[in-house]
Amino acid sequence: MRVATAALNRKAGFLHRAAQRAAFLPLLLIGVAFYALCLSVAEVSISRLWEGLPRLVTWIARSWPPDLSELDVLIQRGLETVAMATIGVSFGAVIAAPICLLAARNVGASPVLSLPARWLLNALRGIDSFVFALIFVAAVGLGPFAGVLGIALHTAGSIAKLWAEAIETTDMGPVEAARMTGAGRLKIFLHVQVPDALPQLSSILLYMWEFNVRASTVLGVVGAGGIGQELKNSVDLLLFDRVLTILVIILVMVTLIDQLSATLRRRLS
Amino acid sequence: MTPVLSVSGLSKRYGDFQALKDVSLEVAAGELVAVLGPSGSGKSTLFRCISGLTEPDSGLIELDGTAVCGPGGDMLRQARGRIGVVFQQFNLVGRRSAIGNVMTAALPELPIWRVATGIYPVVMMDKAEAALASVGLTEQRDQRADTLSGGQQQRVAIARALMQDSRILLADEPVASLDPDTARLVLALMHELARSRGLGILCTLHQPELAAEFADRTMVMRNGRLAS
Repeated sequence: MRVATAALNRKAGFLHRAAQRAAFLPLLLIGVAFYALCLSVAEVSISRLWEGLPRLVTWIARSWPPDLSELDVLIQRGLETVAMATIGVSFGAVIAAPICLLAARNVGASPVLSLPARWLLNALRGIDSFVFALIFVAAVGLGPFAGVLGIALHTAGSIAKLWAEAIETTDMGPVEAARMTGAGRLKIFLHVQVPDALPQLSSILLYMWEFNVRASTVLGVVGAGGIGQELKNSVDLLLFDRVLTILVIILVMVTLIDQLSATLRRRLS
Repeated sequence: MTPVLSVSGLSKRYGDFQALKDVSLEVAAGELVAVLGPSGSGKSTLFRCISGLTEPDSGLIELDGTAVCGPGGDMLRQARGRIGVVFQQFNLVGRRSAIGNVMTAALPELPIWRVATGIYPVVMMDKAEAALASVGLTEQRDQRADTLSGGQQQRVAIARALMQDSRILLADEPVASLDPDTARLVLALMHELARSRGLGILCTLHQPELAAEFADRTMVMRNGRLAS
């Protein structure tokens, strides 16, 4: 009798799994169909890549030797990118601090303030610096300042979100102890929560700096200054020897900054 | 002598669970009163009600003859500043110095720019140093809290409570995280501070032998009720 029940159970289990698999099949088909649709919308075409290949090869061939005649100017433009990222991130941090104070759930800001703060944070984070820079180029004109503003706004959202999360992971015990003395929320935030999370807060700032040096190399494409602008001009004029020089400068610059930031962040943790 | 803390008819219920049933007690200036009891007996709820972290359902809490319990957050917050509190887990800011942690008790009086910059008035520094001296930590003044031993951390927490000039000190299992020798040192210090400063101390413990040695009076909590 028990054996029969066990067999029945096994059979029921098998049927159950089969049913689960059957339910999975339509989902799989939908997934495949969606992927196929994306492939065609994205106009993926092996033949076009094949046709374009000789052109790419000649460009690569023409890029050697790299054009070093304007090396000083290009390095200066690279430094401009680093400067844009640095100033942009610092402005972003200034904007992020009050948003973080309001958005972090364990600081205790009233929902009247914390909800709009979280919306603002998500809105800023949702719009890329590239898009912000595009708008600011129209508003304040071509050049690195537009890039700085673009980086500042988008980065403010990212920093505020990461900072708020860092504050939320801090120990609540000391906060409770400080509350018992009758201290207000802002003072507890400054005296207890910020020092507790300081290594994470600094690490986040360094990471955003490093990330923005990488990301802002393309800001020049919309005319927002830095080495990206040289890159775009050189590609437009088909000066591939100059493009190679610029790419090497970007690579060296980004690698150095990455290493520096990573080293500093390792020290912090 | 008028009691510095007086609790009468305190009750608290969490859903179906009656955590406190008609609890009454008094603590006089200069005495250390121990509350013993197994975990879940209501000790922590009593502690949270007196310290203002939890609102009791009914009952009266008086500090120095003034009622502090009841509706109205302002009254509670004001009362909080008048009760010094010491926790089992010390609850110090690990990355701040000993004196920085003692300064936490001065936050309500300090203007925000001083809190932000950490530039404190000389009188406050003197007072914080005196508090550290009275728990025997003058030399550890600038040492980061998370580098101090458990006993030293609890003494910093006691100095933080002294900084408040409160007449009543609540201690929730203050020695449960410490080794036996350190536990005795910390309790001896608390007992001595009660005497020398006229501080009323209400202290939850779970070791009867420690209560017998250091407390002036001991009460036992069981199922939300208090017995002498």
